Amino acid sequence: MKLLEVLLNGNFLALIGAACAVIFAGLGSARAVGMVGEVAAGVITEEPEKFAQTLLLQALPGTQGIYGLLTAFVILNKIGIVGGPVKELTTVQGVLFLVAALPIAIVGYKSAIAQGKTAAAGIGIIAKRPQELAKAVTFAAMVETYAVLALLGSILMVFGINI
Amino acid sequence: MSIVKMHKITLIGLEKEKSGIIESLMNIGVLDINDIGDTALTEEWTGLVDKDNNEDEALTLELDMEKVRSALEYLNQYDKQKKPLFAPKRSVDALRFSDILKNKDDMWVAVEKISKLDEELAQLRMEENRLENLIASLTPWKSMNTPVELISTKTTSVIMGVLPIAADVKEIFKELSVNIPESYLQLVNVDKDQSYIQAICHKSREEELTRVLKNKGFNRLSFTDMKGTINQNIENSLKSIEEVDRKRETLRGEIAALAGKREDLEVLYDYLAIQRDRNIALGRLLKTECTFILEGWVPEHNINSFRNYISKWEWDCFVSIEESNKDEDFPILLENNRFVQPFELVTELYSLPKPSEIDPNPFMAPFFFVFFGLMVGDAAYGLLMAIATGIVIYKFKPQGTVGKLLKLLFLGGISTFIWGALFGGWFGDIVTQVSSGKFTIPPLWFNPLDDPMRLLMWSFIFGGIQLYTAMGLKGYSLIREGKVLDAVFDIGLWYIFLTGLVLLLVGGNVGTIGKYMTIVGVILLILTQGRAEKNIFKKLTKGVLSLYNAVGFMSDVLSYSRLLALGLATGVIASVINTIGTLLGFNILGIIVLLIVFTGGHVFNILINALGAFVHSSRLQYVEFFGKFYEGGGKPYKPFKINTKYINITDGRKV
Repeated sequence: MKLLEVLLNGNFLALIGAACAVIFAGLGSARAVGMVGEVAAGVITEEPEKFAQTLLLQALPGTQGIYGLLTAFVILNKIGIVGGPVKELTTVQGVLFLVAALPIAIVGYKSAIAQGKTAAAGIGIIAKRPQELAKAVTFAAMVETYAVLALLGSILMVFGINI
Repeated sequence: MSIVKMHKITLIGLEKEKSGIIESLMNIGVLDINDIGDTALTEEWTGLVDKDNNEDEALTLELDMEKVRSALEYLNQYDKQKKPLFAPKRSVDALRFSDILKNKDDMWVAVEKISKLDEELAQLRMEENRLENLIASLTPWKSMNTPVELISTKTTSVIMGVLPIAADVKEIFKELSVNIPESYLQLVNVDKDQSYIQAICHKSREEELTRVLKNKGFNRLSFTDMKGTINQNIENSLKSIEEVDRKRETLRGEIAALAGKREDLEVLYDYLAIQRDRNIALGRLLKTECTFILEGWVPEHNINSFRNYISKWEWDCFVSIEESNKDEDFPILLENNRFVQPFELVTELYSLPKPSEIDPNPFMAPFFFVFFGLMVGDAAYGLLMAIATGIVIYKFKPQGTVGKLLKLLFLGGISTFIWGALFGGWFGDIVTQVSSGKFTIPPLWFNPLDDPMRLLMWSFIFGGIQLYTAMGLKGYSLIREGKVLDAVFDIGLWYIFLTGLVLLLVGGNVGTIGKYMTIVGVILLILTQGRAEKNIFKKLTKGVLSLYNAVGFMSDVLSYSRLLALGLATGVIASVINTIGTLLGFNILGIIVLLIVFTGGHVFNILINALGAFVHSSRLQYVEFFGKFYEGGGKPYKPFKINTKYINITDGRKV
């Protein structure tokens, strides 16, 4: 019974939501940034002067991790774990926070990897035609749109929950 | 404030005067030479003219340049003087330039010598490595004082080698003293991996002894090519290293002595670059047996000076200068005021306009300016960016792409400062955090963290304005092409329909007007959008289907929600940094932590958000804005001129 009580605790559920946002968005970004880094390293062995350009592309899929952290922070702030007296949440409120974290957790994970693949392919552009950097960046930024929308969805939901 | 008009130059001259003419054109440096090699070689021309092929020569020159460049690089390596980051080019008088080049042979000798010296230095480095490794392998044996070449006497054998650290040396010694009494073992040294052993035994028992030791993991070593004790060998190696050092110093001295040649070599490099460019230009001409033809473009503002310049020529040649019309594919040079100019970079990264298009920069610049600042949105960050880039611009006056980027960031910084002040973000909420909530810098407008919906609405409004501008520009280009009806039907009617929809959303009295506008818009759109079709039913179906574009318009507007998302992100990350920084309170340790977290965190936040703001502002321009009216695909204007790396040749006389 004690376990059930913990599981249904509103704050616990809200924290799971915050954790999911950080974990999955971060996982996705880590994989994606790693993926781009591997390809970039290949280019750098031949042409070290392209470091700045490839680094720019590598940084792009890193934003999902930041969005995840951001969402978590907004949740923590709202329930008072960061910067204020901790509020006692009902189970329903906890579930609401958990749901609010889902967009950035799931879309963040997937979009980071998709963006990583696009950015890795963009490194190929840099290798052959360095003057076309903007186009490679734009392709990757197209994917990022959906991470931004998910972040927006998550944040608006968190802001909208009444406690 | 637009695309600069170009004049087309056609020049036919005598083959024997070609190099003089080319040289002269290079000196004035305003003509962009067309590659007519491929375009003009149509049926009627074949057989009459030939491509002027100088690729081989250009390639040889390129190789020579590479040699000089690496020689210069070596010189820089051994030169103590530090050069500033954005050093201006040295000025060299044209007379002096040709004077220096009289000693070309001398310079080539120097280039060869430098590369030879560098090779020798590399060999010395290898030798030094070898010696250092040798010393490292000898050091553990230091306490052994028998000569290393002594591996046997008349009746005994001397064995040296290592045992893994896992083997119990004492145990082995004991065992051997019993089993093979005609042996003597000495433990020379022990380190963390192995024990160093010297064994002496009677020749008849050598085999047995090695077998026993091998079983324990013994690895026999021999010091071939060496004589004397270990210590003597180490000393010899140390002496050799000293010798290597001495040699290196002399070699370095020799290279340093050549450092005086550096300025001459830079001149040589630039001379070769000029020669190469000339050869490349020659490859763009066509020639017959005794004549050649050249085609190119000169910008309008240079055309008078160009005309004067060539009228002073003494060569026999024919030159025609025609004004271009916008259907011709001339190279693109943009001319904008000081505010818009940095934003040309954004368009250059996408694609330059075609000659028939309008220059999008004056329209794009204000939006980029506003969006960039809104997405970073912190007054202190904006100030830092503007000050940092401002100092670099003021001190070094960088040109070209770097210059444009820095100026863009400078303007972006100003915009960021304005938005930050409007939103009340100064390093996030540092004042509130440090004063534990007693003080807050109030926003001049409103704080988006308190009221995100309000900023979301504004993001959509900004987006709507930009999309309306894009449609207006599309309409303008249609009218310019003479398609007035298309402009009215495809742009005007959409304006009515979309404005009606927006008003309908607002509601109230305006909403009623909106309702009628929408209805009128819908009916007119259904009637006109299928006008290209012949069949009346197809006309109507296409008209109805075209209303689907409204969805596209909506999704374009929604895309501007990123303005809010990225704007919020900066503020939230900043307050995360501030919260972490102030966690330890205000004792000495806490203040140190605050300073470290504050500096590191906010620098990181500025970088990541400026990058994000740049990428996403660009994306809004490329996809949402340019997508509506702009095609691009123009090629940049690249005048044929003296393009040097190290020096400026003053007085553009014969070089």
